[in-house]
Amino acid sequence: MVVMLFDEGRSETLMGEEEDDDIPFTQPSTSQVQKGLEKLTPAQVDQKTAEVVQYFLMKDQKKIPVRRADLVKHVVKEYRNIYPEIMKRTARTFEQVFGLKLVEIDFKNHVYILINKLETLEGAPVRSPSNPKMGLLFVILSVIFMKGGAVKETLVWNTLKKLRVDPGEKHEEFGDVKRLVTDEFVRQRYLEYVRIPHTEPLEHEFRWGQRAELEVSKIKILEFMGELHDRDPQSWSQQYKEATTPSSSSQPSTSSQR
Amino acid sequence: ISDSCMRRARGDGAEESPRQNGTAGRRRGEQRADSGDGDDAGGGLGPADMPEEDNDPGLRREIRSKYRDLINSVQQNREDMLSPSNNKLHEVLEEANKLFRDVRQAREAALDAQLLVVATDLGKEKASQLFVEGNAFDPSAFAEHLLSFMGLNRLEEGDEEQQHGGGVDGYLPQDAWHRVAERAERCFRTAPCFHYMMGSFHAEPPPPKQRIERQRKAPSKEVKRIMPTQLKKMEESQQEATEKEVERILGYLRATSPISYYEFVIDPKSFSRTVENIFHTSFLIRDGLARMYLDESKLPCIAPVEEGEVENGGLSSRKQCIISISLRSWRELIDALDISEPLIHPPTSQSVSQ
Repeated sequence: MVVMLFDEGRSETLMGEEEDDDIPFTQPSTSQVQKGLEKLTPAQVDQKTAEVVQYFLMKDQKKIPVRRADLVKHVVKEYRNIYPEIMKRTARTFEQVFGLKLVEIDFKNHVYILINKLETLEGAPVRSPSNPKMGLLFVILSVIFMKGGAVKETLVWNTLKKLRVDPGEKHEEFGDVKRLVTDEFVRQRYLEYVRIPHTEPLEHEFRWGQRAELEVSKIKILEFMGELHDRDPQSWSQQYKEATTPSSSSQPSTSSQR
Repeated sequence: ISDSCMRRARGDGAEESPRQNGTAGRRRGEQRADSGDGDDAGGGLGPADMPEEDNDPGLRREIRSKYRDLINSVQQNREDMLSPSNNKLHEVLEEANKLFRDVRQAREAALDAQLLVVATDLGKEKASQLFVEGNAFDPSAFAEHLLSFMGLNRLEEGDEEQQHGGGVDGYLPQDAWHRVAERAERCFRTAPCFHYMMGSFHAEPPPPKQRIERQRKAPSKEVKRIMPTQLKKMEESQQEATEKEVERILGYLRATSPISYYEFVIDPKSFSRTVENIFHTSFLIRDGLARMYLDESKLPCIAPVEEGEVENGGLSSRKQCIISISLRSWRELIDALDISEPLIHPPTSQSVSQ
């Protein structure tokens, strides 16, 4: 199941992204990096770091994860021999200058995303106009979480229909809902859309994606559930336990540690 | 569920395999003979003939047909079987057990395996329901609560209006999903999107200036009534002020002419006013209302031009010169010419000059 997952994710990204690099990139060793640094001026390394930072910021606009292969091919280029050093500096820049966290969400295919280091404050004013798509995503993520982590797609579609969002029709706000949920949200790694074996006709399951695991606070979802249902969030004991357990597997190390 | 499965795995399975292998050839033969997968009662021998049972096509078909019925019933009545209130899944497996005793060939066994897969899948789902029994979450109730949160305006019963977006009842406001998004975003730690602050380069040319002029004309009509009273207090434009000054100075010139230029323009009490006087005087000369010349002592003098002479001025007799004055020269001139009082009195309203 896990292998299928990655393959699906890969084919989704390959659809829209550039071709793979011709020369497969292998991580240089520490000594190689040292040698590489000696041949460059600090200004050069800073410049390249700045370019990588900018690349990430641009790519993050659409929330599509960045692949190492693309990064090396289009930005790092001949500096690939000091790649780890550049990534280390990039991560530090994001942390110290922007308050963002650079995270590798796929260790096999080397894919990165940016998330916010800081929590949104309770009474903070809304800085920018809210994106209604986030509302839709939130509903789906909530249902998945409250139902134990995986739900059949029919449950999601039925719930959305009750909210006047029909995947079979074009929605006023969201357009092609099915595409938004099963393609865009999946590419952004907010959701996983997995085939259930032995189902006739073919059915899929929805789960949280890697980005959701990192970005979304389960306890905050539970709090909102409590508000909506006028219930104490702790009354959902199983979900509360899930939300308050510090999850070790869903927090991969930042690239600097690799 | 597990009991029935265990029984099958241990018991019948071992007995069946040699027989199944043995009849493989005959199975193939039978396959060609069979027209399709139907419920047709074949003209075969009865189940009483023990040795013939293995390759009795009618019985084989019957068994397969029953298996298919079981599989279909599980798939069709899925929701029903999932309900914790009944034991239908268990019944299906019991039925399958009975059927399995008569299974002799691979084809039937395959159907049996398929049924098992479908049943266990259902069993797993049923088990997971039990898991969250104490933490039941009903998505329908969730949807209802959320609709209220979104500001659903539930129509009263008997209301004929069917608003757009209102399927069953109620009308969702335009910003319904924005409300959810706002609340939802608080649960996310999304990195803010990168934008250029001033936006991108705007390629369109600026709107034509005509528009601006039209806009100016419009308000003036409205303001007309207020204008006269304001004018008395309002500062005149620089241009008008200069013109007035020049006229005033012309008056002085006509009153005391001809006169030494410096005696005319210098204000011994203010250097800046001296410069202003020179400035205003130059207009008189430009417009041909005054003329400058050098007297016997080669000192510059200025005299008004007679009314009648103005037209005769013409371009031919025009000359230009640049006059400059510095603080030092100004003081020297005051001393040399012994000027104690300004000839051109400073204007009464100070604001224009300063």
